[in-house]
Amino acid sequence: MSAVLFYAVKDVRKNRRAFIFITIAIALSTANIIILNGMVYGMTDDLVESTIETSAAHISIYPNEKDKYIEGLGIKEQKLESIEGVIAYSPRLSSGGALSYREKSKTIKLLALEPSKENRVTTLLSKIDSGETLEASDRSSILISYRVAEDLKAKVGEDAILVFENSNAKVYRIKGILRTGTAMDMNTVVINFDEAAEQLALNNKASTVLVRLSDISLSGQYKIKITRELGVQKVKEWKQEVESILSTAETFGRISSVINAVGLFASAVSVGVILYINILHKRRQIGVMKAIGMRDSQILSVYIVEAVLIGIIGIIIGDALGYAGTKYLEAHPFTDPITGDMAPRFYTYLLYDASMVAMLTVLIASLYPALIAGRMNIIKAIWGT
Amino acid sequence: MKIIETKELKKIYSLGKIEVNALNGVNVSVDEGEFVAIMGPSGSGKSTFLNMTGILDTATSGEIHINGYDITRMNSNARAEYRLKHIGFVFQFFNLFMELSALENVMFPMMLSKHPFYKERAEELLELVGLKARINHLPSELSGGEQQRVTIARALANKPKLLLTDEPTANLDTKTTKKIMELFIRLNKEQRQTIIMVTHNPELGAMADRIIRFRDGKVEE
Repeated sequence: MSAVLFYAVKDVRKNRRAFIFITIAIALSTANIIILNGMVYGMTDDLVESTIETSAAHISIYPNEKDKYIEGLGIKEQKLESIEGVIAYSPRLSSGGALSYREKSKTIKLLALEPSKENRVTTLLSKIDSGETLEASDRSSILISYRVAEDLKAKVGEDAILVFENSNAKVYRIKGILRTGTAMDMNTVVINFDEAAEQLALNNKASTVLVRLSDISLSGQYKIKITRELGVQKVKEWKQEVESILSTAETFGRISSVINAVGLFASAVSVGVILYINILHKRRQIGVMKAIGMRDSQILSVYIVEAVLIGIIGIIIGDALGYAGTKYLEAHPFTDPITGDMAPRFYTYLLYDASMVAMLTVLIASLYPALIAGRMNIIKAIWGT
Repeated sequence: MKIIETKELKKIYSLGKIEVNALNGVNVSVDEGEFVAIMGPSGSGKSTFLNMTGILDTATSGEIHINGYDITRMNSNARAEYRLKHIGFVFQFFNLFMELSALENVMFPMMLSKHPFYKERAEELLELVGLKARINHLPSELSGGEQQRVTIARALANKPKLLLTDEPTANLDTKTTKKIMELFIRLNKEQRQTIIMVTHNPELGAMADRIIRFRDGKVEE
């Protein structure tokens, strides 16, 4: 064992009470990075995944700029079926409307879809909070989002009047209540595609067609392919659909970086101050080290190595705390009435990132006290003048 | 053979606007195997002289030759290396590493110089100073005399050509002082260890081969 490492280990053991504070500071800031970033990235990924799973799919086809609907739906569906790598598609009709239940009425967004096709592309119809989901043959039933149900105090099994945007009105049975964890929960009513097309007098048309690919990572290539093959102008990848979510997540990411930086700064200060005080208390010993022949660089190394040793212990504890904290919050998420459960996710790379950042902080914080120790004048150090 | 030779050695300290001539043209030579006592009143420059010959401090002017090398021309790393391999220090306040046991304190300079059998030699040295039974004790568990003997063993670790000691018995009782002085004399006679000892005590000075007296930064003729 080198003399530097030997002395550093002994000094850390001897001063373990003082160094416990440094260890705690490093552990907390490391855990803070893992949990806070796990929260931001976890919520973002949850939201992105649920958006893809419920409303964006891998590719979304929209009407051309001047059109309100995608025309010639049948032919486009045939072309989609012939494209290798497209494993499913689901046409949707979107329009406005109102839903009346007893004396109450609410403006809604009407979403019409074919359950058999939709189930192959998204999991929207499985997000049932209560009641049952819509089947392919359910032309007289609807699903309503839980916020619509709350606002109208509507219950599963009851009848409600749906007023279409062309003023057609018809009574439908509320078959189930949806909870997706996305913006759809605000005011969506889901109805059978053919039923909506008939009521709105829209034949062979769709507002969007969602496409599921065999490989989501190829969405860029398929966007170009679908645009060309179907002769449509407006095709979006899932990334474009979740742009607003990613942008919001980026803002939250910056806020979390600031919080992490404050935590790291606090731990850097504690590392620096405690090492500095330790070095001041050991002036005479540092003088003796130099007198017996230790070079300035070796003395500097002793205190850097001490900081690294304490840092390693703090980081290991911090990693364990971060992991345990994330797992605990995963099991006990924060509940939000609009977005549903909010919980962090554990990402292994955060363990590495947090460890590296914390170690870098420790190294930087220890540099000044270590330099002071290395540059200490021998005579002044030994005789305390 | 001369182990130390100083020529017109000067050291001037600046205390604000006042300059203090701690050493004012000192010419001293010490032969290999000599036991020299340096005496003089407080402020006469004896400790400054010891710091200069121990390469702990730099001279303002003049030359210091140790074993033929002019140490005033060495850089910081070379000075540290020279101290490690050729000079042993015994301080007044023992100055052991409090977190290391007696054995580890003696091992440490040899670990720095990468001595292949540092543990075995440290044990031998502690036996030489009569502390074989206390090798695993921390300094806080040793008496003042025992701590000073550990310091002497540590100073001898790398077989230095020169053992420098500044008031080594100032904090010890008479009985322990006698033991320490007997140890120095034994090292000097049996191992031809060159020793330079700064002391105020005329009785201790008289035990050395020669006394060099300092006054006002100069050697008294």
